[in-house]
Amino acid sequence: MIGLDIHEPQSLEEAFALLGDDESTARPMGGGTALMLMMKARLFKPSALVSLAKADPRFHGIHLSSDGKAFTIGAMTTFAALEHHDAIAKHLPVITQTMVTLANPRVRNVATIGGNLAHADPHLDLPPVWLSLDSSIRTIGPAGERIVPLADFFAGYYETNLLPGELIMQVHVPVSPGWRRRYVKITTRSAHDWPAVGIALGLQMQAELCTDVRIVLSAATDRPLRLEAAESILRGQKLTPGRIADAAQATGDIHIESDSRGSADYKAHLLKVHLARALQDLSE
Amino acid sequence: MATITAGSQIGRSIPRLESRDKVTGRAEYTHHLKLPGMLYGKIFRSTMPHAKIRKVDTSAAAALPGVYRVVTIDDIRTVIPHPYYGPAFHDQPVLADGKVRFAGEPVAVVLASDPAVAEEALGLIEAEYEELPAVYDELEAASSPHLVHDELKPAATFPDLQHLKGRRGTNIALDYKMRRGNVDAAFASADHVFEHEFRTQQVMHVPMEPFVTVADVANGQATLHTASQGPSFVRIEIARLLGWPENRVRVKVPHLGGGFGGKLYIKLEALVTSLSLLVARPVKISLTMEEQFFMVTRHPCTFRIKSAVTKAGKITARKCEVWWNGGAYADIGPRVTQKAGFTSAGPYDIENVWIDSFAVYTNRPPCGALRGFGAPQTAWAYECHMDMMARELDLDPVAFRRMNMLRNGRPQAGGTVMEDADIEASMDLALERIGWNAPLERVSGNIRRGRGIAIGFKGITAPTTSVAIVNVYADGSCVLYISTVDMGQGSDTVMAQIVGEVLNLDPEKIKVIHPDTDVTPYDMGTLGSRSTYHMGTAVRLAAEDAKNKIEELARDLDMPPGSNLPVAELLRKKYGMQAGNIIGTGSFMPDYQKPDPETGQTRKATPFWGVGASSAEVEIDMETGEFKVTKLVNIADVGVPINPKLVEAQLSGAGIMQYGFTTIENMIFRDGQLTNGSLADYKIPSLLDMPKVFINEATRSNQKDGPFGAKGAGESTTIALSPAIGNAIADAIGVHIPDLPVTPEAVYRAIQSLKNAGGH
Ligand SMILES: Cc1cc2nc3c(=O)[nH]c(=O)nc-3n(C[C@H](O)[C@H](O)[C@H](O)COP(=O)(O)OP(=O)(O)OC[C@H]3O[C@@H](n4cnc5c(N)ncnc54)[C@H](O)[C@@H]3O)c2cc1C
Repeated sequence: MIGLDIHEPQSLEEAFALLGDDESTARPMGGGTALMLMMKARLFKPSALVSLAKADPRFHGIHLSSDGKAFTIGAMTTFAALEHHDAIAKHLPVITQTMVTLANPRVRNVATIGGNLAHADPHLDLPPVWLSLDSSIRTIGPAGERIVPLADFFAGYYETNLLPGELIMQVHVPVSPGWRRRYVKITTRSAHDWPAVGIALGLQMQAELCTDVRIVLSAATDRPLRLEAAESILRGQKLTPGRIADAAQATGDIHIESDSRGSADYKAHLLKVHLARALQDLSE
Repeated sequence: MATITAGSQIGRSIPRLESRDKVTGRAEYTHHLKLPGMLYGKIFRSTMPHAKIRKVDTSAAAALPGVYRVVTIDDIRTVIPHPYYGPAFHDQPVLADGKVRFAGEPVAVVLASDPAVAEEALGLIEAEYEELPAVYDELEAASSPHLVHDELKPAATFPDLQHLKGRRGTNIALDYKMRRGNVDAAFASADHVFEHEFRTQQVMHVPMEPFVTVADVANGQATLHTASQGPSFVRIEIARLLGWPENRVRVKVPHLGGGFGGKLYIKLEALVTSLSLLVARPVKISLTMEEQFFMVTRHPCTFRIKSAVTKAGKITARKCEVWWNGGAYADIGPRVTQKAGFTSAGPYDIENVWIDSFAVYTNRPPCGALRGFGAPQTAWAYECHMDMMARELDLDPVAFRRMNMLRNGRPQAGGTVMEDADIEASMDLALERIGWNAPLERVSGNIRRGRGIAIGFKGITAPTTSVAIVNVYADGSCVLYISTVDMGQGSDTVMAQIVGEVLNLDPEKIKVIHPDTDVTPYDMGTLGSRSTYHMGTAVRLAAEDAKNKIEELARDLDMPPGSNLPVAELLRKKYGMQAGNIIGTGSFMPDYQKPDPETGQTRKATPFWGVGASSAEVEIDMETGEFKVTKLVNIADVGVPINPKLVEAQLSGAGIMQYGFTTIENMIFRDGQLTNGSLADYKIPSLLDMPKVFINEATRSNQKDGPFGAKGAGESTTIALSPAIGNAIADAIGVHIPDLPVTPEAVYRAIQSLKNAGGH
């Protein structure tokens, strides 16, 4: 068959029917930015694309719960919508800060957070940030809904634990007052490139003490990776320069992949230096 | 010749004539063109870098409903017995012929009325190959027994390459020599001898408008609509390929969405014309952005440079050995090898010079002209070399350059006396604008700062010709016919300003007819910074010719001298009604003398000199090697800027491009396969990457024999930019990085190696 069909189902049932079973080469479509690149490179050839734009209202919107404790964000929310959202800027400023480093306005206007997660390319900027925020996703499929902690979502290079036919419907993000957060995006080519190394950081500080911490690495391993060894060196401790250096050193065992943005040992070095600097900065 | 006149049109920054058409989407591009009955072609490309073709099975593709025909070289040969083309060598088959020489080479074409069908059918073609050992590196290839071509086939149009004809058993397509003085003796008696090796990488032009050609061959006439920088050349080469007279080949070029040297000579035109001839229907091929990486690129280069220097810092001898990686087909590479070889000792006054410059075939995508014609690669070497020597000798890099600089009135290494080349003034302005003597906070925390300066020059392709026709209609309005291609540089506007200046007309009211070889006269090509000088002169001559004819007409009509009757009235008087026209013609070919093939010496190698100077200020993170160019200054000598705003756009555009080639862009190959052949992975700079302070300026100068004192501006700021940045980085970290691109990782490794060596 020549070309492909593009569908815009008006209900979830219709969407599931169009997407078919495990064998189907129909694909759900968010913004289509990753799909188009892969199709142009002939990495895969879908028989149909199924837009989720009109399938269900729950795929849309950015809602803060009435108790103010968590955001529920529809999977079809574009990067730009997130970037320009006042409540996000207020309660999750790290997201707003991350958005401006990500791709370019053209991509941000169409790419969606659901597509971004399902794509599972390890060189993405948002997944490590969601992970550092202890987010989870709500999926929906022919067999019903599930809540999956993001920590259990990625299965490897371009692989997720979504079940056949399952869609990402929403992202749940807890609001965590008192945490200091940052996303460090390190590019080695142009400013609008995907990262060579990404580090999402969260610190909960009480007086001098670091009571809790999240460190998530991306773009260097096959999936976003929580750096637990480094975290445990910091948790419950005063963040002295020595301890920060120890935490940075504790990243030494991670198996990092080389790519066109940098060799493995250079990336490992970037990680150490930038992690230490960001910790120092955030702890002050 | 002309002196600068205080004219009203010269030095005016009028907006480009086509601006409104472009922003309202009305500008004409080949991509828009559809002809009745037109077929679309999609190219099936080789997956092997070097292999014999055992078999190409096109049957399944041909059987796909909607496919009109699948074409291989065997089909082409039924209509064109010798289907090989190229500007310097006739070495490139229209489609792979028995063997493939790079991964990405066109092997077959699917034709269909629907491009999606053609695309789909590509997946059904199967090629069987017998792999051959491949060569990728220019040094390795130069002495490798594995040959990309069995025999050299220079084109008859380049008489100076005829000695290469029939040469076998080598990958060296051309060896260029320049010899001056006695280099060996100078090295033997030198106080100091320095030798360094530099390398540059393969990069691509990335025009926004990918290559596109429509050919309509029928009834013994061939009409091409093509995104080309050289319509006249295309006509000549297509006529040769078809064995037809030139007047049966018509080449039309509307606006171009960028060219940068890529769309020169002959590219898609050979293939698309052959296809149309074969099927007797119009055929269109539009490349994708990704396919452009397989059309033409910039030469990677290895440059070994050696200098003899006195204690006081005078350079007494220089030996240059330059190896150009030309890829699988010569394209214009041999010319790059000669022209950039010619200036590869740099803009210095050196008694004894020895230059060897080699074009080498490899199993990579072909390389050709790209904004600077090799000059940027050579300047990267000779200007980093200058700073490395200055550092060793503890000399001030500026004073060292001044002591050795080539000045007007002195012969360049090839014997041509330098004239109207503002090298020192350009350097001085670059120094002033960067604040060379202002204090610099060299160290703050992990940050080290440094400054760098570099200069460079280039000769201009010679000898070349431009012809122009000015036509004044019966109502006094004016049309200019030229084959210069406006590809965004603003040539239409500048040429209209020249006509306006001579004929005292408003340039914005002059219409410039775009290249159509049935209508517009010959031009060698829109290339190598030549149009303003060459075509500009032809246009000036054509306008002057028209002016003389108007004056003659006034005399014939017995008008008293100085009566200044408008042309329209003169014509009305002559013909008794609104009729007739005044046609002025102009043709220009500058003085040139062919260099001696053994010594490269000549009285006149180049009509003028392209001159650029750049300075940079950088900030280096010493822990990671990450760096920022905080200030970048590009200065060029463009003679008198006819349109200062367009000149500035040329200087900054060339600067941004070369900045990408310096810090970001790199075609990465693994086993001969391009691994980053898309804009997702081959990054070019955006405005966010550019230095906050980015200054582009022309010196105040005058090219005495240029039109109203002007010369070319398109390439000058590509020349010295890379070494200015390289030198600034070395100034900050204490060591030079010899290879482009300069990446954060490369800087980090250089810092580490210095630390390990116990320095700093
Ligand atoms: C030039 C360019 C530069 C970029 N730079 C960056 C960058 O620097 N940093 C960065 O983080 N990102 C960057 N991106 C974006 C990123 O790479 C992805 O393209 C984007 O996040 C994908 O989102 P999308 O909505 O377009 O996904 P789509 O292309 O629509 O889909 C991607 C995948 O997810 C699946 N999918 C989509 N929606 C769902 C859903 N709701 N449930 C289940 N599966 C779904 C699709 O079937 C497909 O497999 C860039 C993109 C481009 C084109």
